[in-house]
Amino acid sequence: MVNTKTWARVKSPWVLHFNSGACNGCDIEILALLTPKYDIERFGIKLEPSPRHADVLLATGCVTHQCADRLKRVYDQMPQPKFVVAIGACACSGSVFEGNYNVVGGVDKVVPVSAYIPGCPPRPEAIIDGVIKLLSVLSTPKKERPVQAHRVEPAIAEVKQNGKQ
Amino acid sequence: MITMIDLLLIFRILVFPGFTFILFLSLFCEWIDRKIEARFQNRVGPMVAGPGGILQPLADFIKLLTKEDIEPRDAKKLVFRFAPLAAFSIMVFAMCFLPIDGASILSYGSAIAQSGFNGDLIIVLVFATIANFLLFLAGWASANPYGTISSARVLTQFLGYDIPLYLIALTPAFIAGSLSIGIIASFPYIILAPWAFVLFMITMQAELEKGPFDVPHSESELVGGLETEYTGAKLAFLHLTRNVQVIFGSALVVTLFLGGPSGPVFFGLDWLFYTLWFVLKLVIVVAISSYIANVFARLRIDQVLTGNWKILLPAALLSLMLTIALVTWVYHPFGIGV
Repeated sequence: MVNTKTWARVKSPWVLHFNSGACNGCDIEILALLTPKYDIERFGIKLEPSPRHADVLLATGCVTHQCADRLKRVYDQMPQPKFVVAIGACACSGSVFEGNYNVVGGVDKVVPVSAYIPGCPPRPEAIIDGVIKLLSVLSTPKKERPVQAHRVEPAIAEVKQNGKQ
Repeated sequence: MITMIDLLLIFRILVFPGFTFILFLSLFCEWIDRKIEARFQNRVGPMVAGPGGILQPLADFIKLLTKEDIEPRDAKKLVFRFAPLAAFSIMVFAMCFLPIDGASILSYGSAIAQSGFNGDLIIVLVFATIANFLLFLAGWASANPYGTISSARVLTQFLGYDIPLYLIALTPAFIAGSLSIGIIASFPYIILAPWAFVLFMITMQAELEKGPFDVPHSESELVGGLETEYTGAKLAFLHLTRNVQVIFGSALVVTLFLGGPSGPVFFGLDWLFYTLWFVLKLVIVVAISSYIANVFARLRIDQVLTGNWKILLPAALLSLMLTIALVTWVYHPFGIGV
């Protein structure tokens, strides 16, 4: 029963795409995944329009103070179990925008991130590789997983304070 | 005291050709639909889940069943919970009247012509209408602007296509001289009324919200349509309702125009070959419907409505007049199609 559940979840991850302040480079690469050349529907991955339907949040771009609230809200609207994949250098760490007056930092400052895909922008092959790695980790039992992801506590309260200053 | 006949009836309702069979048939047809759509877009479609991705709809369904169930605070809880389930059960109930293995589910062992009762065609069409109303309620109760707009469009579109649908569905009934699905299903009426088949396919696209008539859930305008707020098991049942609706529409085309389950039977295994022919014809109709859906661009809601009232309704009336004239002066005097 548990195996069937895991199998179904791994074979049908529906993704939602959220841009929290990217330059649109990574977003174009995500859209390229849906084109005939890469066709990510092979793996059962569908781009869903509503956060209520999604399992995986593809977050691109550094998180600005304006967008932090919205990113948190979109994440909260998704049903459990849910995962976040940070796509691009900015989403992973804030990249060159780190420390900017209007930027919180990477996506993991606001919501817990399960997989990081670096690159500026990452190639579609790299995104597919990252997503498949995440799925293969999920399909192994919890104890045998290679790396226990370090979960960063969501710093949304702090973000709100900073935003008001 | 449960007798053998009761057990057989329970088996027919729950397993074959009832609930389980319809469930897997609808998932199979969704796979065909997705594969055809992918080929039209020069992609390959689902590949990983099962051979050729055939288990993809099943994986989607199981995954949705195991997801968290969220109810928005403003949603009307009762309708929000029961509308998807009720729509699904009514669609499955409507499928039960169609002769999938040579007889409707409740009448085993009789010939195709005796499997229905007079008037069950009307009942089946009414069930399809009620299911559409329940889908409207499901979207309306979700307290989401996109769901509300989508629901309003479901009703608006319904005003356009429902009358032509009933009128065209009556064409084979007039030739057969009966409203019983069993009698209509024993002859392929596409030979005697091909124009009605074409019209019925077009109207069916509107009824199934596919093809050029997919206004109620147009992804580029309405996010998720009336499903926007639904999660988990409720979303799974909404998807399943859509799938069963698709096979119901195709099964209705098969029953009314393509001779239902009738075909050559070998080795005396009539139920097996009847099911085979029925599913084969069903898959062909699903493929044609998918072809239409992929080839044509989406119309606007006002274009759908004016098209239905100004073109489809007069065409349906003309088709009915032509049929009645042919039946009176050609078919019945020479004993064709009775």
